[in-house]
Amino acid sequence: MSGSRGKVVEALVESFNKEFPAIKVEAVYSGSYAETVTKGLASVKAGKPPVLLQSYEVGTQTMLDSGAIIPVYLLNKGEVDFGDVVQPIFKYYSVGGKMYSMPFNSSTAMLYYNKDLFKEAGFNPEKPPETYDDLYSIGKKMVDTGIAKGGLSLGWPGWIFEQMHAYHDQLYANNDNGRSGKRASEVLFNKAFGVKILTEWQRWSKDRVLFYGGREYSANAPFVAGQFGMLMQSTSSLGGNIKKSNFDLGTAFLPRMSGYPKGNSVIGGGSLWLMKGHSDEVNAAAWKFLQFLFRTENAITWHKGTGYFPVNNKAFEALIEEGWFEKEPRFRTAFDQILSGKSTVAATGVLLGNFVQIRDITQTAIEEIVVNMKDPKAILDDAKAKSDQVLKDYLSMVE
Amino acid sequence: MQTTFKSSKWLPYLLLSPSIIIVFIFFIIPGAESLYYSFFRLNITGTKKYFVGMNNFVRLFQDSEYIGSLVLSFSFTVCVVFFGLGISLAIATVANKKLKLFNVYRTLLIWPYALSPAITGIIWALMFDPSIGVITNILERVFGITFTYFNNSTHAVIFITITATWKMLGYNIIFFLAGLQGVPGEIIEAAIIDGAGKWRSFWRVIFPLLSPTTFFLLVMNTLYAFFQLFGLLHVVTEGGPGRATYLLVYKLYRDGFISMNVGYASAQSIMLLIIVSSVMLLQFKFAERRVFYGT
Repeated sequence: MSGSRGKVVEALVESFNKEFPAIKVEAVYSGSYAETVTKGLASVKAGKPPVLLQSYEVGTQTMLDSGAIIPVYLLNKGEVDFGDVVQPIFKYYSVGGKMYSMPFNSSTAMLYYNKDLFKEAGFNPEKPPETYDDLYSIGKKMVDTGIAKGGLSLGWPGWIFEQMHAYHDQLYANNDNGRSGKRASEVLFNKAFGVKILTEWQRWSKDRVLFYGGREYSANAPFVAGQFGMLMQSTSSLGGNIKKSNFDLGTAFLPRMSGYPKGNSVIGGGSLWLMKGHSDEVNAAAWKFLQFLFRTENAITWHKGTGYFPVNNKAFEALIEEGWFEKEPRFRTAFDQILSGKSTVAATGVLLGNFVQIRDITQTAIEEIVVNMKDPKAILDDAKAKSDQVLKDYLSMVE
Repeated sequence: MQTTFKSSKWLPYLLLSPSIIIVFIFFIIPGAESLYYSFFRLNITGTKKYFVGMNNFVRLFQDSEYIGSLVLSFSFTVCVVFFGLGISLAIATVANKKLKLFNVYRTLLIWPYALSPAITGIIWALMFDPSIGVITNILERVFGITFTYFNNSTHAVIFITITATWKMLGYNIIFFLAGLQGVPGEIIEAAIIDGAGKWRSFWRVIFPLLSPTTFFLLVMNTLYAFFQLFGLLHVVTEGGPGRATYLLVYKLYRDGFISMNVGYASAQSIMLLIIVSSVMLLQFKFAERRVFYGT
């Protein structure tokens, strides 16, 4: 993992190696998630897979179908109670109630905002925007008064687009987002809702309220530098953003678009997959390591260092007991958001074959719309056609 | 004493073998493999494959993204070659004087070439950084232009073109300088005596004498613009925003290594080979006629 997250991973690995001198775990950074999934799967063909592979949620269906993994529930001889896994996270990584990969770095998206800029623009810094309309008017004022270059930016824009579907209880793909027992064969993001969201974003961008900040984490730097007032980004950036910003940083629920039903923000981030091709002894050692990460105190370290969810309920309870959330209420926002949402089919998260490519397609489509100002409907229709072709090819290979 | 050298039928082959082996291992075998895979569709782990005939190639030309990338790559190459050669020729002509520290300057000039495209990208990305970049700040304060290469397609293309051109400048200048130093002084003198002005003697006398160098650089820069900019794109724009800087090599990478569409990417690499070879062929056929190699 990159940035400050990587350092926390290293520290965890180091303490594991100290505790289990007979086992040596080596964490290797192999680039972005997309590159890691690709390299990991390519290494299967070459016969040299890693023991554990950290894949993002987008890689889930691909990993499941790859035939290159050992589901973690098979290793569990009662050492870990998967019932302890926080519900929405459990739902995301399990198929038919069974855990296939070990949840590790789970996050969701939330709104970060710059309280200083809110004050300067004449808004109550304790009242973050709850709706798209509020967000727009706050952002507009920031731009018009010249105190910021933009109102809002997005981290992982393609992912935020998916989040918006789940958050407003809209399906992103057919067959219940690919979770009905049949794999998804068609995406639905070019329906009225998707077009509406991107038409909004485009309008914001035209009025310079939306400051397009690039993919993944690149919008964080200008945000902490105070160039715009708000940022929709993964909760995993919380630790880093607090450290790097020299203003009063606020966190809030994602704003909603009025007139649509309530869903929930969806789990993102990654999980650890056990790869085939190693001795039982190595697999057992890997399982030890996974248990170690799941342990309450380590889940807590991980959460505090990054802003990712502690994946098990015990850790969450321990954090409450310790008074952590009173001391650091910003670390609680994402929890409250995800626990107050409605758990619907659409909010469980999308499973798509070769989602890596589809994410790339939507990401590009978003840029065409908010940067190059092309017609949202036409671009989304085109992106849907491309995505459906990807799904068709994928299904032709696995079914 | 004279040593006699018994010529053997095998000796030439033996001496050539290291290069032949390298060419085989790194070019011919992977190339053949690409050709083979371009007729298949593979699953993600590469363990299953279906023969699809020419389907990958047919799809390529139905893919609006590929056509867009093709057009972009061509226009980009033309820009990089034109500006690259033009600017370096101008600099080389100015630098071609009997200066004291000539060798030092020459060494300094070639430095950019020693950088990898990715490093070049990082350096320029810093200078063009929207918040802390030197160039963006100058543009904003002096000219009132807000330059954001990841937020504006035109800016992205300009940014990539400048960076790519800059990286080749050193290389081009060195060759032009060498070429200029090889132009015999008496020819220029003769031209001046005949009444040619500086401008005229440059275009009519010096430039034609430089034509072998120019032609060589034309070929090298074309290859460079087509093949060697992956690192740069990967570090700064990742082909975006949208598909604004989606050159052929980058599309190939995304399709092959991110989307794991090995068959489709192989077809693209074969097409890229065909396209670049045709460009080279055309250059040798038409441009080389104008090259004067001397007598």
